[in-house]
Amino acid sequence: MKHVIIGNGVAGLTAAETIRRMDPDSELTLISDETFLPYCRPMISHLLEGAVPAEKLPIRGKNVYAQNRIEPVLGARATTLDVDRRVVTTADGKTHAYDRLLLACGADPRQIDAQGRDLENIFFMRTVQQVRQMLAVLPEVGHALVLGGGLVGFKAAYSLLRRGIAVTMLIRSGYPLSMQVDETAGRMIQAVLQANGLTVRTGASVEAFEGNGRVRMAHLSDGTRVSCDMAVIGKGVFPAHGFVPADRIHTDAGILVDDNMQTSVSGVYAAGDIAEHMDIARQRSWVNAIWPEAVSQGRVAGMNMAGEIVSYRGSLSRNVIRVFDTDVMTAGRVSPRDIDETCRQFSARDLRRNIYRKLVFSDNILVGFAMINDIEQGGALTALIQSRRPVEVEPERLMEPGFNIGRLMAR
Amino acid sequence: MKQVIVHPERCVGCMQCMLACAAAHSKTGSLFTAIAETPKPRPRIHVGAGLYDEGFPNRCRHCDPAPCQMACLPGAIYRHSRTNTVLIDPDVCINCASCAMACPYGVIRYHADPLAPAGKTVAVKCDNCVARQHRGQIPACVEICKVGALTFEERDRAMKRRTEEVARSATADAAPPEQAPGFSLLHTVKKARTEINLAR
Ligand SMILES: Cc1cc2nc3c(=O)[nH]c(=O)nc-3n(C[C@H](O)[C@H](O)[C@H](O)COP(=O)(O)OP(=O)(O)OC[C@H]3O[C@@H](n4cnc5c(N)ncnc54)[C@H](O)[C@@H]3O)c2cc1C
Repeated sequence: MKHVIIGNGVAGLTAAETIRRMDPDSELTLISDETFLPYCRPMISHLLEGAVPAEKLPIRGKNVYAQNRIEPVLGARATTLDVDRRVVTTADGKTHAYDRLLLACGADPRQIDAQGRDLENIFFMRTVQQVRQMLAVLPEVGHALVLGGGLVGFKAAYSLLRRGIAVTMLIRSGYPLSMQVDETAGRMIQAVLQANGLTVRTGASVEAFEGNGRVRMAHLSDGTRVSCDMAVIGKGVFPAHGFVPADRIHTDAGILVDDNMQTSVSGVYAAGDIAEHMDIARQRSWVNAIWPEAVSQGRVAGMNMAGEIVSYRGSLSRNVIRVFDTDVMTAGRVSPRDIDETCRQFSARDLRRNIYRKLVFSDNILVGFAMINDIEQGGALTALIQSRRPVEVEPERLMEPGFNIGRLMAR
Repeated sequence: MKQVIVHPERCVGCMQCMLACAAAHSKTGSLFTAIAETPKPRPRIHVGAGLYDEGFPNRCRHCDPAPCQMACLPGAIYRHSRTNTVLIDPDVCINCASCAMACPYGVIRYHADPLAPAGKTVAVKCDNCVARQHRGQIPACVEICKVGALTFEERDRAMKRRTEEVARSATADAAPPEQAPGFSLLHTVKKARTEINLAR
C-alpha cells in the first residue's frame, strides 16, 4: 500500500502518524511546499509579537520524518492530480503514484483587489516565512495598517501593538470579529483594543496602496488616506484546492468529504482547513478551519486510510483569544448572520467586571455561545453543543458566575 | 493501575481537598508555610455547587483520548503512561486557553504556579500527584477526604467506560465502527438523560 499526503500541516502530520501507528509496512510520502518542520501555525502571531522564538514553533522533533518512516518531499508544490492514473505531479515535474491520497493542503490567504498591491511591506500572515519577513522590516515600521477585523487581522494587530507599533485596523463591517461574536461582544473587544492604542476604522476598505517601492500610504474607499509603512492583509482564507480536478472531486467552498473523510473519488481523502463536512451547530455542510478540527480530521482520515473504518462526527467552529488581559471565547452560532427565527438568545453582562455571556439555543439545544472573561467553564458549554443534548435547566443558570458542569448533573 | 475516583454523592462540600491540593503543589509542601509563598499555591481540584447547591468536587478525569491534548496548540499536553495521567508541560504552554475550550469538565485554570517558570501564567490542572505517587504516597486530595468522596483504587470497568463515553461524546473524534455516530450518539443521549437532570 502506498500512501501519499499533500500538506505537512497538523492535519497531514496527524494523518501520517496515525497511518504509521496502524500500518507499519505501508509506504508513506509527505509532499509539502513549506520546508520548515511541522509547526504550530497559530503561534506565528506569537512569533510576530516576540513572545516566542521561532525554535519553539515546531510541534515535533527534528527526526519526525525518520521516526515515522515518512519520505518527505519538501519545497514541492503539487500542481496536478490525475485521479484515474492515481498520480500527483509537483511543480518540478516529478510524479508521485499513490494507492491512497490525502489532501491536507490547508488554506491560502484571500487576495485583495487594490492597486499597488505588490509594493514592499505588504504581507499576508499565514506562514512562518511570512512572519520572518515581517520581523525583518519591523525596525523601520512606525505605523502599520491591518486589513480585516477577523481572527488573523485581530492577532496581527495585537502582536504589532505589543511591539509598540501604532496600528490602524480597517474593518468592513461594524465591529471586530463579526463572524464570531455578536455586536455587544464585538464592541467590548473593540473598546479593549482602543484603550490599548489601536485605531479602528469601520466601513472602509483599501482601494489603492501608494509608495516608492515600499508602501507609504493607503487610499480608502471613503476617500480618506492613511499613511503606513507596513500593511497586513487579513481578509480571510480559502481552501487550497486549486489544483484538484473539480469535475471529479466534488467541491463546495471546501472539498466535500463523507463521514470517513473520503472525497467523491474512492481512495482520495481530505482533512483540515481544505475539507468541508457537517457542522454540528449549523447542521449543514461547512468548512471549520480551526486547529482542533484539523487534528481530529487528520486522525480519522489516517485511520480510514490505514483500513480501520471509523466515522467523524462533524465539526464545530470555535475560538479563544486572549488580548490585554481580556479573554474571548466563542463557539457555534453567535454572529447575527448565523441566527434565524428558530433561535432563542440569552445574554448577561457585568459591566463592573467586564464580563459578558451570550447563549444561543435552537429549540432547547445549545447551538452557540460567546463569553468575555471568566472563560474557564467554556469547555462544558462546547461539549453541550457537541452533544446536541436537549438542555432543560434554565438558560440563565448556565450564565451564572458559579456555573460548573455539576450544575448539569443530577446525583 | 490505581486511579482517583470521584463520588460526588458523598461530598459534603468541606473543601479540605482544595487546601490539601494547594499545599501539595506548593514549594514548601506544607499548608502552614504554603500560605506565605509567592505565587500563592492554588488548588487543582475545585469544589463547586451542584444542581441543588450541594458540594460538587471537580477534577481532571484524565480522559483517553483527551480533548485538551488534541486541542493544545504548542503540544504542551501529554500522557504519562505509567500513571495514566494527562500532564501539562509549563515550559511549553503558551497560555492560549485552547484547552479551556476543549475541556468538558472545566477543570483547567490559568495562573502563575510554583512549578512553572517564575512569573509565567500557564494552564494548570490536576496531575494525579505524580510526584507524591513516585514517593509511594497517594494523591493529597484522597488522603485528606474523610467522607469517601475521593478514593484511590483500581477503577472497575464500568467506571472506566463511563468516563470514556463522556470523553468521546465531548470530543469531535473517532468512534469505533460498532459504535459509529448514530449508535454512540443515541447511547450518549440516553446516558445523558440519566446524568443530566431533565426534570426542571
Ligand atoms: C495567524 C493564525 C492564527 C490562528 N489561530 C488559530 C487559533 O487560535 N485556534 C485555531 O483553532 N486555529 C487557528 N488558526 C487556524 C489553524 O492554524 C489551521 O486551522 C490549521 O493550521 C490547519 O491545518 P491544516 O493542516 O489543515 O493546514 P495548514 O496548516 O495550512 O497546512 C497545509 C500545508 O500544505 C501546504 N500546501 C498547500 N497546498 C499545497 C500544494 N498544492 N502542494 C504542496 N503543499 C501544499 C501548505 O504550504 C501548508 O504547509 C490560525 C491560523 C493563522 C494563520
